[in-house]
Amino acid sequence: MERIKSNAFVKKIGFNRLVLFLVLLLMYTIFAILEPTFLSYNRILSALNYAYFLGFLSLGVTFVIATGGIDFSIGPVMFCAALISGQMLTKMNVPMVICLISAVLVGSAFGVINGYLVAFWKMPSFITSMASMMLARGIGSVFTKTQSISWPQSSQENGWFRIFVKYTIPGTTMALPTGLVFLLIIAIICAIILNKTRIGRYILCLGSNKEAVRLSGVNVKKWEMLAYIICGTLAGIAAIVFVGAYSTVQPGLGDTYNNDAIAGCVMGGTSMSGGVASIGGTFIGVMIISLLQEGILAMGFQKDWQYVITGLVVLFAVYADVRSRARKN
Amino acid sequence: MGEVILTMKGIDKTFPGVHALDHVDFELKKGEVHALMGENGAGKSTLMKVLTGIYKKDSGSIIYEGKEVEFGNPREAQSAGIVIVHQELNMMNHLTVAQNIFIGREIMSGKLINDAQMNRKAKELFDLLNIEIDPTEKMGNLTVGKQQMCEIAKAISHEAKVIVFDEPTAALTESEIEELFKIIRDLRAKDMGIIYISHRMDEIKLITDRVTVMRDGAYVTTLISESCTKDDIVHAMVGRVIYEEPKVKSNVPKDAPVVLKVEHLKAGRLVNDVSFELKKGEILGFAGLMGAGRTETARAIFGADTKESGDIYVNGELVEIKSPQDAVKSGIGYLSEDRKRYGLAVQKTVAENSTLAALERYMKGLFIDKRKENEVTQQYIDSLKTKTPSTDQLVVNLSGGNQQKVVVSKWLVRNCDILIFDEPTRGIDVGAKSEIYHLMNELAKEGKSIIMISSEMPEILRMSDRIVIMCEGKKTGEMLIEEASQESIMHAATLRD
Amino acid sequence: MGTNNNKTNAAKRGIFTSAGATQKIVVILVIVALAVFFSVMSKPFRQYATLVSIFDYSYYISFMAIGVTFALITGGVDLSIGTGMITCGLVGGYVIAHKAMPVGVGILVALVIGLLFGLINAMTVAVMELPPFIATLCSMMLARGIGSILTGALSVTWPPAGSEQGWVRSFFKYKTEGGLLIPVGFLLVIIAVIVMSLILNHTRPGRYIIAIGSNKEATRLSGIKVRKYQGLAYLICGLFTGIAGIAYSCTFQAVAPGSGAGLELDAIAGAIIGGTSMNGGYGTITGTLLGVYVMSLLKTGLPYIGLQSNWQQIVTGIILIIAVLVDVLKNTKGK
Repeated sequence: MERIKSNAFVKKIGFNRLVLFLVLLLMYTIFAILEPTFLSYNRILSALNYAYFLGFLSLGVTFVIATGGIDFSIGPVMFCAALISGQMLTKMNVPMVICLISAVLVGSAFGVINGYLVAFWKMPSFITSMASMMLARGIGSVFTKTQSISWPQSSQENGWFRIFVKYTIPGTTMALPTGLVFLLIIAIICAIILNKTRIGRYILCLGSNKEAVRLSGVNVKKWEMLAYIICGTLAGIAAIVFVGAYSTVQPGLGDTYNNDAIAGCVMGGTSMSGGVASIGGTFIGVMIISLLQEGILAMGFQKDWQYVITGLVVLFAVYADVRSRARKN
Repeated sequence: MGEVILTMKGIDKTFPGVHALDHVDFELKKGEVHALMGENGAGKSTLMKVLTGIYKKDSGSIIYEGKEVEFGNPREAQSAGIVIVHQELNMMNHLTVAQNIFIGREIMSGKLINDAQMNRKAKELFDLLNIEIDPTEKMGNLTVGKQQMCEIAKAISHEAKVIVFDEPTAALTESEIEELFKIIRDLRAKDMGIIYISHRMDEIKLITDRVTVMRDGAYVTTLISESCTKDDIVHAMVGRVIYEEPKVKSNVPKDAPVVLKVEHLKAGRLVNDVSFELKKGEILGFAGLMGAGRTETARAIFGADTKESGDIYVNGELVEIKSPQDAVKSGIGYLSEDRKRYGLAVQKTVAENSTLAALERYMKGLFIDKRKENEVTQQYIDSLKTKTPSTDQLVVNLSGGNQQKVVVSKWLVRNCDILIFDEPTRGIDVGAKSEIYHLMNELAKEGKSIIMISSEMPEILRMSDRIVIMCEGKKTGEMLIEEASQESIMHAATLRD
Repeated sequence: MGTNNNKTNAAKRGIFTSAGATQKIVVILVIVALAVFFSVMSKPFRQYATLVSIFDYSYYISFMAIGVTFALITGGVDLSIGTGMITCGLVGGYVIAHKAMPVGVGILVALVIGLLFGLINAMTVAVMELPPFIATLCSMMLARGIGSILTGALSVTWPPAGSEQGWVRSFFKYKTEGGLLIPVGFLLVIIAVIVMSLILNHTRPGRYIIAIGSNKEATRLSGIKVRKYQGLAYLICGLFTGIAGIAYSCTFQAVAPGSGAGLELDAIAGAIIGGTSMNGGYGTITGTLLGVYVMSLLKTGLPYIGLQSNWQQIVTGIILIIAVLVDVLKNTKGK
């Protein structure tokens, strides 16, 4: 075991992430054996649909959790962004590009609200973000007058935005998972921000010991707030891929995705107490959650089992983290 | 004074690396106030912790009311009648006074708590002590002095026969101290045995019957308060042979420029009109006893706490320091006494901690220049002789001395000219200590100016070019190293007005 | 030493006493002001049915809020009460409707399930020492899933009023011979408030729960079994989740699986409006009740001025932010 752990290649990737990746492969194998349709390309594509938007949510919340906080508003914020921009597109005839940009901006705006209240007013992040979850649900619903919004299909006018999710090669039925490429690009950017820039450095350090960072002459409020803004912005991007995959958004929903996103994040090794985060881990975590989602349905279980399993997974992951910290001290 | 109620004989206690108590003897009589004195770290608190069962003694015996006892925890001691009134009060601020006094042993009528009865009982206790406190007041609304009296009332309600006061007057006002002394005299008249731990010389004469002095974990002597002088006590407290060579002469030229000037600094109770100057290349020792306000002064200068008034000049220019950011911009670095809480992100690497205060200088465009970061980290690992396998070792895995070096390198990477070391060698083993000393001397030689807060007398005498002494938030003395002695420092450190 | 300074400063301002009483008076004024405002703005609001509807909303929020007040006082929180309540109502209703059990059994099942969730939270928070918000988030997910799974994802309706098994509904809304609806559930709420106030303020468990929230370490040093009483707070919270589930099922038509998320915020907001501190150590059941009426008044009143349920969510969010902000400022005053 120790030999494997000290292997250079394993070290570079991280032992835990490697284990997580093996878990992902194992799960897929089991599902594929029990339900051979899992080997089909289309099945994989549909499982990936869930991973796209969840991936963006989970990447975003990774930054917040890295500061030692939490954001429970991301799911509803994603819906709110999709509803507002969708309303602009379908009812107000605003050009597509502007709609997409405003979806992202709506997400950022919620990030600003959360970040400002948490960093500058020292409000507890969980309750603050639950309050903005209510705001997001309400605003989205008010804006669309409680109507659900359907975004254009790829064949329709303005349907080009779906290349963020899937690209069907003209003249064939062959679809390429462009969403995966998009998600990977953003994930790599996130990994760079987290590991190679001052933003990420300060976010991780203040999650580890905020007071020490403040006493090093760093403007901790600014950087903490920025984590929430990144999170909100990514929730805005998630809105685009969500409608790209599922077309329709209903007001008042979205909060269950919070839990999935947080689950993906903590499963990937990001510590709830802050200071330790892994974008790669989050990415694999999201894939596991999405596969689970698809797998549960395929096995003929009720979809609600997913809540139970996700709940237990988070509980286990957080407990393991708490225990390992207690041991270190 | 009556018969002996408590005898501690040959108490010995060793912690890994420290001989905390070295065959200490102590005796307490009924109706006696017995002072326990000594410098910080002399072993007073450890002795009391052994008495009340927080620590287990290695050898020796405790005889209480004629029987040998060994308490497993403070509650056992409490029910036997030995109670400590702690310096840091353990109170539940949201509960009332009476509810605090009777926590865990509420007076019940049936299934319900009889608060009225508890209030009456508390009132009786207060009457007994002649103090005026409303038992229905919330504990958090009382002053520290009043809270302490509640602790005393709680002790009495446990039918205590021995009460230990651990620096009871540290946070009290003049009139509150008066009141406390009245109570202590009352308790004495009621034939209780009282152990009184204090740093304040003048109080010893006022309130105690005998003084036992400890030094470096060992018993020194017991004096009769009435017939001894302050000098006798000070001498007993500091009369150690100092093995380490004290500094004989200041290394700083007389005409060295002043780099930091603090004028009339005020911040809370423990920073009261503090003024001093720091010269280039100087190590300025800040001496004083626990709670003298030295750390608070440092934090106020650094902008970690808000100051009420006072001016700070850096290199002759008035600077406005409102936050640590401002201080760091002015070239001031602060190394806290509590490294893990205020100095380091221990779950992060040596490199990450080293560049924390100066990250903007290690950027290549938008990105952190890891190569340059590792270079500078390695450079300071080498020059400070930090023992770490690599620059990306987590700080949590380093020893205390090496962690301290990482904090130092953080400020050196930032290139701070003024460094405030708060208890730089606390929790660091002997070998690493002398390395830190060497390092500080080197830094001073290079022209850095250092404020060194230390509670260890040998450290002050060994390192400082000049010494500022504080007591209860005020500067009570300043002397060049040439004039300083253990006695003169201790005199100033216990000076009250 | 710094903490001592804070203590003295705090002492001067007396933050440990006056705030609670003042806040209650302010909340009463807010309730009156809201009632007047809605009455002026909308004529249909001024009728008896509105009052009944305000009470209808207040029942389940009250019970949840009373329970969560205990969790909040320990310095924690319980986010599982909303979905937990729905699960209790669902499963309780399921055994009545689909297993032909008498209503009494359904009630018992609802209470037991509430207690079970309380037990899970007690284990994860008090014994495993997980952060309360994340531990109860997990049980929120569990509740949501289990509720749907046990009932096969079907909505459940408790026996309607007037039917043979519908007697339980008249504990909340009593229909007189003349057809007048009397909100008798208010009496149940009042009884719960009195009993729980008594437990909180005049029994050892209540006293220790407050003490834990005020200063956990000092409480431990006083020889009190901190885990036991911290866990008890979550058990109480779970029990009241069960009661709230019954109240919800008996005042509304149907209980739908998968709903309930977000309802916990009505209760938590109610408790915080009533003066219970997010930091723990302080809270009153009467204050919580007052806070609940602010919430149920808004739920009933907003539609009358043309703001439908989506606006209510916005208002809930804003109120929650204001209430928490007030609480944060109250606690940092003097620091």
